[in-house]
Amino acid sequence: MKRLIVPGTLVGLILLAALAAPLLPLTDPIRQDIMHRLAGPLPGSPLGRDEFGRDVLSRLIWGARTSLGVAFASALIAGIFGTLLGLIGGWFRGLGELLAVRSMDVILCFPPVLLALLVVTLMGPGAGTLILVLSVLYLPGFVRVTYAEVLSARSHDYVEAVRALGAPAPRILLRTVLPNVAGPVLVQLSLAVASAVVLESGLSFLGLGVVPPAPSWGLMIRGARATMDQAPMLLFWPCAVLTLTILAMNLLCDALRDAVDPRTSGPRPRLRAVDRLLPGLLPRRDATPESVLDVQGLTVEIDTPRGPIRPVQEVSFNVRAGETVAIVGESGSGKSVSTTALMGLLPPVARVVNGEAWFGETELLRLPEPEMRKLRGGRMAMVFQDPMSSLNPVYRTGAQVAEAIQAHQRVSAEAAWKQAEGLFRRVGIADPERRMRAYPHEMSGGMRQRVMIAMALANRPHLLICDEPTTALDVTVQAQILDLLAELQRETGTAIVFITHSLGVVAEIAQRVVVMYAGQVVEQGSVAEVFHDPLHPYTRALLAAVPEGETQPSGIPGVVPPPHAFPEGCRFAPRCAHAIPACSAAPLALDMAAPGRAVRCIRWTELAHPKEEVPA
Amino acid sequence: MAWILRRIGVSLILAWLVASIVFMTLHLVPGDPAELLLSTGGIMPDPGAVAELRDRLGLNDPLLVQYGGFLRGLTRGDLGNSLIDDYPVLAEVALRLPRTLELIFAGAILAIVVALPAGTYAALHRGGAFDRVASGLAALLLAVPVFVVGTLLILMLAQWLRVMPAGGYVPFADNPGRHLALLALPALTIAKGLAAVLFRMTRASVLDALSRDHVRTARAKGLTPRGVLVRHVVRNALIPVLTVLGLHMGTLLGGTVLVEYVFNWPGLSTPLLRAVEARDYPMVVGIVLTISGLFLLINLIMDLLYAALDPRIRAA
Repeated sequence: MKRLIVPGTLVGLILLAALAAPLLPLTDPIRQDIMHRLAGPLPGSPLGRDEFGRDVLSRLIWGARTSLGVAFASALIAGIFGTLLGLIGGWFRGLGELLAVRSMDVILCFPPVLLALLVVTLMGPGAGTLILVLSVLYLPGFVRVTYAEVLSARSHDYVEAVRALGAPAPRILLRTVLPNVAGPVLVQLSLAVASAVVLESGLSFLGLGVVPPAPSWGLMIRGARATMDQAPMLLFWPCAVLTLTILAMNLLCDALRDAVDPRTSGPRPRLRAVDRLLPGLLPRRDATPESVLDVQGLTVEIDTPRGPIRPVQEVSFNVRAGETVAIVGESGSGKSVSTTALMGLLPPVARVVNGEAWFGETELLRLPEPEMRKLRGGRMAMVFQDPMSSLNPVYRTGAQVAEAIQAHQRVSAEAAWKQAEGLFRRVGIADPERRMRAYPHEMSGGMRQRVMIAMALANRPHLLICDEPTTALDVTVQAQILDLLAELQRETGTAIVFITHSLGVVAEIAQRVVVMYAGQVVEQGSVAEVFHDPLHPYTRALLAAVPEGETQPSGIPGVVPPPHAFPEGCRFAPRCAHAIPACSAAPLALDMAAPGRAVRCIRWTELAHPKEEVPA
Repeated sequence: MAWILRRIGVSLILAWLVASIVFMTLHLVPGDPAELLLSTGGIMPDPGAVAELRDRLGLNDPLLVQYGGFLRGLTRGDLGNSLIDDYPVLAEVALRLPRTLELIFAGAILAIVVALPAGTYAALHRGGAFDRVASGLAALLLAVPVFVVGTLLILMLAQWLRVMPAGGYVPFADNPGRHLALLALPALTIAKGLAAVLFRMTRASVLDALSRDHVRTARAKGLTPRGVLVRHVVRNALIPVLTVLGLHMGTLLGGTVLVEYVFNWPGLSTPLLRAVEARDYPMVVGIVLTISGLFLLINLIMDLLYAALDPRIRAA
């Protein structure tokens, strides 16, 4: 809204000047005074006189009246008729749609100035002709905007409901559709006015718009061209006023559009230089020898307009060779952000503020980008959630896999293509020669995910991070992909970090599980232990939410809080059936319940032995 | 292939619709077109002259016969003769069109060469000094009408500094250096609006492409920043830029009329403006049809390029 103020005020002032022209103490804009031809500033003429001795200031202000009058009149006419046509086309569809909407495409086939010139030829120049032409030119914009809004409004439940109740079409359109259309139509109106000012001045400049001696900015520039050597200021004033008006109107249009369209609005965080800590600053730690990946205290911070948030805090876990560790949790628990941070793929607004992640002998979180790049897709690879959007739509799938090979191996294009063919076969794609030539949109979801897996396996990674690789797929395809991953792991011994929100998938694929909630690890242990004897109320609630046999699944009330509203104490307390005041008092630490078993709950011992529980 | 044929078919239908609308304009205007064309300032024209003009324009024939004759003429490339000097419109168009095309081409190249890299750079360094300066400049350039830019360029570079010619035309064969010097300012003027639009579109499109999942995949593969940028960001970002570019060609072609007038460039706009003033209807129609046809052709080429870049379109 703040962005509306400056251009809005400016446009308002220009409008006010134009409207008030007859009331202002100005000399007659068309009274000639040959004695003072091209005179500089005179009493009563602060900006001097033009080539016929007419007062420049007066002509500027009266010119605004002409230009804006033509612009507003044509934009309003186009707005009224265009909105009506759009309403008709959107509501009645069929023939009405064809006549009202599709016919508009033809107007767009003409360059605007030329259509105007054609009509001027027939009707002669003048303000009336201009208004007629301009209103026809801006009709399609209004028709399209209204038509689109009506179509989307029609699909809304409340409109359907009113329709089913038998309300007459005109009333529905007025009550439900028009309020929605108002915003976009207003934007369109401001665009049309701005554009009409440009066209009007252009045609007047050519001598085919407003008829002299009526004042108009375009005509003033046309006149001043002849004398620009003697009186350049005569040229300067109308140019400046015209440009300023259009600039203010354009800025107003942009601000209006942002205000109306929420997708483009909102302050965008400024990019900041990525602060990269010096590698090797921290003392070298003894890595657990058998761990492929050892994450300690990973904390990610994101700058938001409301201040920094920490969607991932103090996350620790490790993965051994040949092992699959599942990270499980609801949406917003920080699973994906954690792994994205490990891959060095965090968006620029997010950064790792604390923690270490040892990948063999390498610390990932402080690794310089060129080194990180060599690891990514090489010794550590990632499979993403949605294979459709994760593959580039404009390249053949084979080329995208071959590209991954060539990023890490110095091989020829043919050799990479040949290798990719082997990978396609390995991930179970039949007829790889043909499939490699297919574009992503020509494949099924399961096939696309196989391509993603082939890409990830291209350089025989030691660690594979799978971010919900089966969520976007059908259930049967899910099972196939899980089998494929398990099989590939048996063959290659790759360690896998598998992110999922489905406990069924965890049971199927993983040996150990990390349960995350609201950016923290709340429980950790082997799959068998965690499933049979969950220690954290959240894990228990998750397990209860899985439909199993005859028992009705019980959902967890509420949702994961957003990162800026994480509770001070136990983050699950507001949704926990066992919460007591002490839970919310202070941040909780992760308790080591047993070797390899951790839980973040102050009541886990008493909850684990329900008989000792004191009734509340 | 089927897609290309269909797209060409659509263009032909649009061309037919454009021609029909131009034809109909003459008859849609209230009153006798011949009388309208001859009247100036509300003075009734001489009835004899009106009858003669009606005869010359073939207005006495039944409407369908006129329409048929008009379309037949178009397919043969016959655009009629000027009302003023009976000169064939097609000959005039054939003489002038190459000069207009040269101007548009030079302006478009100039705009593309500046705006695509600038837009990409601004997007990659969003919020930086370059981005803010260039975005502000683009907003300013969008707001200055072409004829204002042209006139001010003449005032400053030709009148004050005397480093550039104010306008005119010399055939390339006669004097290549002079030809290019005369081309520079009008081409620059045409380029300014297009460059501003292209800069904004490229910037927005690259920003959008940067946030796509497949760019993350490309980075996850371990591609170099350059590889990610060239193959996965710019290539994908160019596709929407192309479409919008095609749509903006209409404004560009219209702007060309003004630019040619400002710089005395003897392209299509000189006879066009003379004909509009003299109410020489066949000449105006011929030139309007030519430029509209050019507009349709440019959009067709843009769409074909689009399909070449985006396999999803060809499948649709």
